[in-house]
Amino acid sequence: MARQVGRRELLAGTGIAALSAGCLGRTRNIAGRERSSQLTLEINAPPADRDPNAIRIARHLAQNLDAVGVDARINTLGFTDLRRKVLINHNFDVYVGQFREAEPFDPDAMYAFAHSQFVAESGWQNPFGFTDINGTDELLGSQRRVEGDERREAVTDLQRALGELQPFTVVAFPDPLTAVREDRFENWTNRQPLSVGGLLGLERVGAADVGEGGTADGNETDDGANETADRNETDGDLIDDNPLTDGDDGENDAATLRLVTTDERITQNWNPIAAEYRRYGTFTSLLYDRLALVDGGEVIPWLAADWKRVGGSGIEVSLRDADWHDGEPVTADDVAFTYEFLRDTAMGGTESPVPTPTFRGRVSAVDEATAVDEATVRLTLDGVNEPVGVRALQVPILPKHVWDERTGVATIAGLEFDAETTEAVVTNNENPIGSGPLRFVEAAPEESVAFERNPDHFLVREVGGDGSTGGTDDGGSTGDETDRLAGIPERFRGKPAFDRLEIQVMGSDVAAVQAVGDGFADATVSNLGPDSVPRIGREADARLVTGRSGGFYHVGYNTRRAPLSNPRFRGVLASLIDKQTLVDSAFDGYADPAASPLAATPEWVPSDLRWEDRERDPFYPFVGESGSLDAETARDRLREAGYRFDEEGRLLAPGT
Amino acid sequence: MSPLLSVVSSLALWVGSALLVASVAIVGPRRLYALWDDLRDRLWEIRKPLAGLVVVLIASAIGRSSLQTVSELFGLQLTWAIYALEGDFVAWIQATFASPRLTMYFSSVYVYGYVFLLSFPFLAYLALPRTATVKRLVVAYALNYAIGLVVYTIVFAHGPRNVMPDMVTSLLFTHNPEFMALTGEVNEPANVFPSLHTSLSVTVGTFAVLTRREYPLWTPIAAWLATSVVIATMYLGIHWLTDVFGGIALALGAVYLSYRIVDEAEEEGERETDGDGESEDGE
Repeated sequence: MARQVGRRELLAGTGIAALSAGCLGRTRNIAGRERSSQLTLEINAPPADRDPNAIRIARHLAQNLDAVGVDARINTLGFTDLRRKVLINHNFDVYVGQFREAEPFDPDAMYAFAHSQFVAESGWQNPFGFTDINGTDELLGSQRRVEGDERREAVTDLQRALGELQPFTVVAFPDPLTAVREDRFENWTNRQPLSVGGLLGLERVGAADVGEGGTADGNETDDGANETADRNETDGDLIDDNPLTDGDDGENDAATLRLVTTDERITQNWNPIAAEYRRYGTFTSLLYDRLALVDGGEVIPWLAADWKRVGGSGIEVSLRDADWHDGEPVTADDVAFTYEFLRDTAMGGTESPVPTPTFRGRVSAVDEATAVDEATVRLTLDGVNEPVGVRALQVPILPKHVWDERTGVATIAGLEFDAETTEAVVTNNENPIGSGPLRFVEAAPEESVAFERNPDHFLVREVGGDGSTGGTDDGGSTGDETDRLAGIPERFRGKPAFDRLEIQVMGSDVAAVQAVGDGFADATVSNLGPDSVPRIGREADARLVTGRSGGFYHVGYNTRRAPLSNPRFRGVLASLIDKQTLVDSAFDGYADPAASPLAATPEWVPSDLRWEDRERDPFYPFVGESGSLDAETARDRLREAGYRFDEEGRLLAPGT
Repeated sequence: MSPLLSVVSSLALWVGSALLVASVAIVGPRRLYALWDDLRDRLWEIRKPLAGLVVVLIASAIGRSSLQTVSELFGLQLTWAIYALEGDFVAWIQATFASPRLTMYFSSVYVYGYVFLLSFPFLAYLALPRTATVKRLVVAYALNYAIGLVVYTIVFAHGPRNVMPDMVTSLLFTHNPEFMALTGEVNEPANVFPSLHTSLSVTVGTFAVLTRREYPLWTPIAAWLATSVVIATMYLGIHWLTDVFGGIALALGAVYLSYRIVDEAEEEGERETDGDGESEDGE
């Protein structure tokens, strides 16, 4: 669109030439009109090495766009740059990406994603600049307030509104494929192998063997207790070299869970609210506890021991006894601070608030958070219903004494660079201090990162001094135990089953699968493409595990820019995407095409919007047959929508 | 990590043996003995260009990731332009020629052949009685790396395997994932233009042609290997044709400059290379 300026200058030159020729009026009428040129759309996607699926969707769309006369340009960018461009700077036409929820989610996740109140904010809130005040906004608002059938109705209408208007085109819900080997860790769930719940639910293989040196499993209470006690001696000092960090011998190695990924971001940044660096936030969730944890649809009181509703719109949360990784106690003050801080990371220090770039929808449901006493917090909700209230409990709780110092405006070398962001949003959060079951050990940027089990976490912490490890024993301090771990399912008690978690960055999905096959890693974390999936079958020790994901692939449009601002135009773009064919080719069949962003929770999707027994999209079916586009029909649709083509069939960009 | 170690040791073994055979066959025992006797003096004589090369390599190793960041933030994102320029040429190469045997051949050439191609001339030219050629070679290597690094920073682009995985298979890594461990240490995936594999191979090829009187046997071997490496960069889906052209231009420029910088007159050459070493520092 910058090109237009150049043309204007050129035309000014022509105008002067014509002026001397005499026919001023007519020339002005012609030269004063801006000529149309071919429409250019830039499609942003990560390169295949990073995400083998997204680029295939981008290619598919680009080819079909080219066929209808649009100059489609694929721009490959690393994850961080892509996110920065799309979520922070809003400087994009089209992007291909994944939604940020790892597991199937409540419909309220759409609130921040599509509500127009967030258009000016940067981060995961409405990156499309989408505004549908009377339709979508109202439905988003009412679905968080009403309950039961009323909510169901609002959610149904919401899906129809989003489907008609297509601020983003849902392509498919990928199966979260993971190549695993089971000789060291087992219990890889077929739900969501690499979620917080999945990782904590792992069991050591052969943990019953005495001499393997495992603290991992509670069955070996005595052995485990000794080991834990040994390590507790060095507890006070976080920086202290854990014996596990330098040891490379078999015994120590056996308790290390080794993961491989193509996503280098976890080796560079541990800021739980950074939109550019978090994919699902699985590992930061293991560093930073949340009040509640949702695992496979089950709500588990986590850092909160319990909560109850008080009055019409309040929740009173009582906290578990917990410490930060630096030894400070977790208090109600920290929790109250977190909610206030996420609403405005500048804590009132700037002209306008600087809200968190992630979890925005969740904290917007909380009006006020106040500490009642050391271990009780009262959250005043913004008149939201139960499920939205529970979502509000799922934000990382941050230590006040660390983040309090990050409320200043972000600076580079002491200079204010951008008054609209704070240190908290841009910090890499080196040496993260959380309260979670894992704590940070070390990292080599772009290569690897290591975490270790937090021996003080409530899942494993020793009670009293009687030497029994947490969770699994059935004798001794049972009374205390039940109290302390109330509400925590058996599968998480005494976990994690590993002493150390190492994540290694690999060059591609193929290399990641190979590393698992060769026994250098226990599981892959990042997405696997059609080149790597068949490989898993050929590796004797590797197995494919999958589950259900909430991270749907979608094509996002920047509705701030013409012609993407036109829902009709977006509708035609959506009809250029053959979801079924993409699932077969880009995902090797390991995905479900979808029309609704809520397709992972079928109970919310009306039957006519479910994909199950249909071949084509209910809103904007693909123009063509099984992968091959009917370009002429697509052009006709564009003509009907008011767009024009030149004699070479190029789609003309409408004047801006 | 172990896969890296195994690739590196197998690389050392194969290239080492190839160097041994080639130096006996091409350089000849007489020159090798002379080189052995005179090694320290000759290395001392070429110390300045050598230091320049080492500086460039160290700068590249240290600065690469920060330059990569600069490139990500401020570089020209040109993937689309390269694709618009040449379209599906690389896909066409793969679709037309790909076969398991060729893949094996080009994969080995890309890794083993390339390392041999770069290391042998250093040995061979060092064995020459006059050091001008080896100085030029080292200067040309340094220029390739230094200029390459600058262009990498300016141009941010991904290769064909990353942009059109539906048509271009990443043949090297699909068939030999262990190589990924090695190349991952050396390369950023967003550094494709120009192709340094191409530029360094063509540099060696050009030198081989220029020194055909000294080593007539080496010229065809170098030409064959260099051409193979150049084709391999595209056949394996790593580079675009545009990167290859960029690499060839860089190579010819580097060779030309190395002749300007290192004069035949040795004394003059000393001073000139001195200056060069410093300018390399600057980059």
